[in-house]
Amino acid sequence: MPLTADAADTETDVADLVTLARAGDRQAFVSLVSTHYDFVYRTAYRWCGNRSDAEDVAQEVSIKLAAAIAAFDGRSKFSSWLYRITLNAVRDMQRARARRGRHVTALAEVSPQSAPPEQEDAAATRQLWAAVRALPDKQRDAVLLVYAEDLTHAAAAEIMGCREATVSWHIFEARKTLRGFL
Amino acid sequence: MSTEPNIDPLARLGGIEAPAADAAARTRAIAAATAAFEKESSPGAQGKRWGERLKSIFPTFQGNWIMDTRIPIATAAVALLLLPLGYQLYSTTSMTPPVVQQPAVAPAPAPEPAEMGEEADTAAEVPVAAPEPVMAERAKTVVVPQSGAASPTMDMEAMPAPAPMAPSLMATGMAAPADAMMAMPEASGDAFAAFDEQPVKSVAEEPVSTFSIDVDTASYSYVRRMLEDGQVPSPDAVRIEEMINYFPYDYAAPEDAETPFASTVALYPTPWNPTTRLLHIGIKGYEPPVAVDRPSNLVFLIDTSGSMDEPDKLPLLKRAFRLLVEQLSDNDTISIVTYAGSAGVALEPTSAGDKAKILAALDNLWAGGSTAGVEGIELAYQLAEKAKVEGGVNRVILATDGDFNVGISDPQELEDFIAQKRGSGVFLSVLGFGAGNLGDDTMQSLAQSGNGNASYISSFREAQKVLVEEMGGTLETIAKDVKIQVEFNPAMVSEYRLVGYETRTLNREDFNNDKVDAGEIGAGHTVTAIYEVTPAGSDGALIDSLRYGSDEPAAGGNSDEYAFLRMRYKLPDSDVSQLIETPVTAEVAYDDITSAPADMRFAAAVAAFGQKLKGSVYAGDMDWQTIRALAQGARGKDEAGYRAEFVQLVDLAASLRPDR
Repeated sequence: MPLTADAADTETDVADLVTLARAGDRQAFVSLVSTHYDFVYRTAYRWCGNRSDAEDVAQEVSIKLAAAIAAFDGRSKFSSWLYRITLNAVRDMQRARARRGRHVTALAEVSPQSAPPEQEDAAATRQLWAAVRALPDKQRDAVLLVYAEDLTHAAAAEIMGCREATVSWHIFEARKTLRGFL
Repeated sequence: MSTEPNIDPLARLGGIEAPAADAAARTRAIAAATAAFEKESSPGAQGKRWGERLKSIFPTFQGNWIMDTRIPIATAAVALLLLPLGYQLYSTTSMTPPVVQQPAVAPAPAPEPAEMGEEADTAAEVPVAAPEPVMAERAKTVVVPQSGAASPTMDMEAMPAPAPMAPSLMATGMAAPADAMMAMPEASGDAFAAFDEQPVKSVAEEPVSTFSIDVDTASYSYVRRMLEDGQVPSPDAVRIEEMINYFPYDYAAPEDAETPFASTVALYPTPWNPTTRLLHIGIKGYEPPVAVDRPSNLVFLIDTSGSMDEPDKLPLLKRAFRLLVEQLSDNDTISIVTYAGSAGVALEPTSAGDKAKILAALDNLWAGGSTAGVEGIELAYQLAEKAKVEGGVNRVILATDGDFNVGISDPQELEDFIAQKRGSGVFLSVLGFGAGNLGDDTMQSLAQSGNGNASYISSFREAQKVLVEEMGGTLETIAKDVKIQVEFNPAMVSEYRLVGYETRTLNREDFNNDKVDAGEIGAGHTVTAIYEVTPAGSDGALIDSLRYGSDEPAAGGNSDEYAFLRMRYKLPDSDVSQLIETPVTAEVAYDDITSAPADMRFAAAVAAFGQKLKGSVYAGDMDWQTIRALAQGARGKDEAGYRAEFVQLVDLAASLRPDR
């Protein structure tokens, strides 16, 4: 489900909550986090591909929000801003993970987690996901924002903090890399 | 390759929906965030408003007071400065919950918006950076000293899910005692196929036990790493048969390749239960003498996608293959095929005598590179066919970090392809590298389709074990579909329980059905299975005898036999199974465990260790010290040091979860 479904109808509510939370209203902050937790978790899941990592990221983002909410200026949509924080958190986690490669190897050894099996050709999709996740950061972000999150190139550009043309270029590059796979 | 050729394949990315978020994780996250928010906004608590207060003091007092009073004012100012700082220092020690710490000097973040992106970045970094030292400190106090080289970051990350612990710590206000904290098996973030321990079975009701052999050893490596990281592995991660089979045992070897393996049986008292005995079944695969140099035709199919560009992937793979190449001789052939976005031949079939050429080709591999050509796996099999040696080893060795983009995307199709090629005599082995997206299940099923084995090469030491010490077993399958069936004699044994092999049980009727697939044995492999049996008439029986049952021994059974062991196997190139039968008689029984061979005692120690680690209901109360002593006394020659390492592992486990 793309983020807009969550955010569109409640956009004014969200804006109010953000304003209150920035002013230090605890209740507003809690409901802000509660309403967006699932969105963050779902996004993180798509990026990480497994549940426990997604939960870690979602928690981290929730905590980050406590400090970061004061810095949200309302110039972009709250959801785009949240996207960006989530993406950063995912990337931080993956970098940290690369540093401790040995441990992760141990974790992967016995049982990698698998994607939901109930879907038809889930296996092919899973392989595609694996390939996409292995792309360079920018390309991956662009591909996932546009295809998995169903955003326009413009919206993806806003989240990634670059120009629309750059997003298109990243996707073109990604297609080239994935050529053998598609 | 795509199943929907007309649809943009990338559109399929929308197809995976996240499973519903775990409610508990959600609650934890929200609680942690709320706590962080309260910290953030509560005035004074972190001393962040002191700047304002000072400002309000100075203008008021300036000019109204005479010069002399400036000293007390300065003192007051210093005190006002130091108090919050002191509090700050105090509160960043381990007394504080680690969730969110304000940086030591932190005026309220200026809400002056700069570039939105940058700000989100920096603001977001702040609270995460702070808890790190705290967590690291606490982790250090509980992690048993090990490698010594662990950086604070690593320590922190070795602690699984640090944040969820925070609320409970906050509630108690103090760190929990170390052992209480570490005693619970931590959520490692891994999902394991859950399985129940094999139950005790009554011989009167179910005299026959059937299972497939298992030569995998991954569980031991996993358990070892978890313990070395200072964590108790989750019970489902402990597969006892894999732990036992990790170790080589010195069982009697078969004489020739016609009977591909020999069995060694022993019966000795159970170290953890005085009323039962262990029936130990050891199998040793035939190992061709070194003098017989069977020609090998090996095709390496190497993943060179960008993701392989990590120290524990392609570079390790190169060093591992270098080891293997050193083992080969002139009549062996090596080819290398790479695949990434597309596939290419990096080395045409080359005699292993030409080591320089092979090593040069290996050195030229680099992650991210791709060569135009046909699909990887077909290319690999083409080369294997091209250089095929009759009567020798023909094998494709797939080395990957989980990218099975080898040309056939449908896993079932890929398995079928490999199985079909297996019919033509070319087998497949899989070497897994690195972590992240590796599908253990895919690797296992591909290797099984190809009559090979799947191994994880996580370190150079593991490469040494798989590719040098166990090369015969890795490359050469000597028997396939090996099944074991044990029939117990109710006159001698009243109950039995198979230790481990939970995931490998077969139905009784599967034993004689050659269509049912089972495990393979490689050259020189040893496989061990242990039953805990209760002698008939013992007062240690857990199951009451049947009121209407018969006490008659099974017809045809010899009354002094404990059990009858049947093993079925197929020779590598045959589809018809053969049978080996061995009675278990009183001759192989030892009255005292100390008189049993060292191999048996060691296996029993490993079984006891595994069961204790799992919290088994059958053997949970043997203490660590006894297990350690049993293993220590049974180390034997232990040339590679595996058993000594095991003894250290027992010590680690004992310190992580002390006996009560």
